[in-house]
Amino acid sequence: MRLLNLFFVVPDLEVLSERDWTCGPDLKVNTAFAPPDWNGFDESALELSLRVSDPPEALSGVQRCALTVGGPSCEPFLKTLAALQFDELIRVEPGDADLRFCPEAAARIVKAVAETKFRPDFILTGTREQISESACVPQVTAELLGWPCLTQVMDLHAAGRNRLRVVCAEDGGVSARIVSAPCVLGVGNAPGAYLRVPTLKDKIKYGKKAVTRMTLSDFPETEKPLADPDVRLRSLTRIRKERAGVILDAPSPEEKAEILWERYLEGRVRRG
Amino acid sequence: MALIQREKIVEGLVRILGKENVVTDEKVLKESSNDRYRKYEQVCGVYTQPIPAAVVYVHSTREVSDVLKFANGYQINLVPRTGHSAIEGGLETALKDSVVVDGSRMNRILKVDPYNMQVTCQCGVPLQELDDMLREKGYTTGHSPQSKPLAQMGGLVATRSIGQFSTLYGGIEDLVVGLEAVFPNGKICRIKNVPRRSVGPDIRHIVIGNEGALCFITEVTVKIFKYRPENNHFMGYTLDSMKVGFEVLREVMVEGYKPSIARLYDPADASMNFSHFAAPGKCVMIFMAEGPAGISAATEAGIREIVAKHPECEPVDPQYIEKWFSALNWGPEQIAKELEEIRATHNIGITTEVSGCWDCIYKIYETARNRIAEEVPDITMVGGHSSHSYSNGTNMYFVYYYNIVDCPPEEEINKYHNAINRIICEQVLKYGGSIAHHHGLGKARAHYVYQEYGSSYYMLDTLKKAFDPNGIMNMGTLIPLRK
Repeated sequence: MRLLNLFFVVPDLEVLSERDWTCGPDLKVNTAFAPPDWNGFDESALELSLRVSDPPEALSGVQRCALTVGGPSCEPFLKTLAALQFDELIRVEPGDADLRFCPEAAARIVKAVAETKFRPDFILTGTREQISESACVPQVTAELLGWPCLTQVMDLHAAGRNRLRVVCAEDGGVSARIVSAPCVLGVGNAPGAYLRVPTLKDKIKYGKKAVTRMTLSDFPETEKPLADPDVRLRSLTRIRKERAGVILDAPSPEEKAEILWERYLEGRVRRG
Repeated sequence: MALIQREKIVEGLVRILGKENVVTDEKVLKESSNDRYRKYEQVCGVYTQPIPAAVVYVHSTREVSDVLKFANGYQINLVPRTGHSAIEGGLETALKDSVVVDGSRMNRILKVDPYNMQVTCQCGVPLQELDDMLREKGYTTGHSPQSKPLAQMGGLVATRSIGQFSTLYGGIEDLVVGLEAVFPNGKICRIKNVPRRSVGPDIRHIVIGNEGALCFITEVTVKIFKYRPENNHFMGYTLDSMKVGFEVLREVMVEGYKPSIARLYDPADASMNFSHFAAPGKCVMIFMAEGPAGISAATEAGIREIVAKHPECEPVDPQYIEKWFSALNWGPEQIAKELEEIRATHNIGITTEVSGCWDCIYKIYETARNRIAEEVPDITMVGGHSSHSYSNGTNMYFVYYYNIVDCPPEEEINKYHNAINRIICEQVLKYGGSIAHHHGLGKARAHYVYQEYGSSYYMLDTLKKAFDPNGIMNMGTLIPLRK
């Protein structure tokens, strides 16, 4: 079985303070001061990819390729994947190109790698990206390749040669199905799917694997969507998710609880 | 071993404190039987320490005195605690039918005294709340450990805590001017607040760092300082070797500069914190100068001049350091996230902090790090940083991660954590450093106390026997239990 993982390295936005959230003339928030991290959904996809070789269903002979689009800050992440015994590592240097809000460009890179370099049975990637949240790279990739696509993948295991048992979140529940290759899998919120950590000895033994470095010029199919994107970015407005809060002022916890009950809970509970 | 049954212990405590302040809920008791030294056991919900008879909440010095007298009479082991943020086993209930005495509800700030520049508070005052309140008034305690969102004043003093700005303000021992403590026989002792005294040994130091093994701290008075963040200057450098880094730190300290922060990260630790600006394999050194504008600016200029003499030190944009530092502290959210990650990956990160003079700190760092990488299985990262410097030496904060492989939760502590601690302590003792810089000995490193103290162990042993003759105060902490 051959698995291709597309992943992105993103800034850890949690370290940004309130005043950092300002947009420059290039319509970008300066995240240079935020350390890089895995895009959470992609990290889960990478871990699920490794689980295919875990007992008890362990499938032998799985070949894995990790593909990323990003600058040199991606290199340590590729080394980690090398230490975790990914077989092929590819970094596509985007240069000055702005891939935000252009899922087609990423999808076309995946398609080209899939058709010319790695020929996977399954493609795994996060359902959403951290920055633009277009949430459609898996679907667009599948459409370009003419493959089926499953999204909101939570878990997967080997189910025989070129088949996976895929668990997906669905409205109001969870589905599990056996999926035959080829298929694109968009990994969503996969509880507990943090990427495993290679040991120092594995880093020494496997971590020096060569990375194939490419540029966007190696992917002429990306020219058009980048030059003439379907969506043009005009402005950015921060989405505020704060919720109003009230501090209950009373001398004792018991009295605070009483106020909470009387003012805020009793009516709701009785209505319910 | 207590002289009365578990039920009688609870009955006695209820008589003293009232039913509402004596908790016997099994879940609470289990969670109170350990601290973050047994992080993996906590993650797995496995409890290997004796489950205490009760957790009691005290509200006044008088109540503390009554509880201690009761425990002393029946030889019941007590474990004092406030913020429950200990990480060296100091809060483990090592004996059957122990009682955890929780001072977190003694949480009143008693007096803010800006004229004499000191603040008096009860043991359960959270440091974060105290410092936030002071900062609104233009002052600060100058004490900012990574556990600031969790820790409370009693525990900070009991463990000889240190903060991230220690190079300027000192450790908690430099900040405490007076205190109140209760001893096992119920005796309440107050040490008054004065700028200095020459009236015999400084008895504050019997209490500061006693780790609950001699007495229960009920009240502390600490110095406060003017808070002037507008004068802060940050500096950051990348460099190739720890050896050069230690030398720069030494020069800065020896020349008499007092930055509030002086830190040096090795390549492994730097890659976890500074990968957005430091290339792989690079060490990172950071400084912060603060205080009155003139002093802060002069401190920055002096440090820059010293670092400039070392061409391998390349300056980085100070904003990197300022941003990084603002997200350094650990609160409940970070701990919850860490536990979730450990549960998922079985990869766990631990720290061990030691100190040494300038002439041995590099050897301690290098030899311990190499031995850990070679001798301990499943290591995923080993490195560290120096974060508290003095004119005669510095500390080394070893940071290490390992995968827990083929190991039940109750065996993890010996297979990995204690094995690493042993290597670090062996190397520290070999080269003449101290095995604990600011976490305390707890129970994790208590069995090295004889080698750590050498001939001065006589003094510690005598203190323990004199103040706690019945052995009721946090037994197993500082001095190991006899098997």
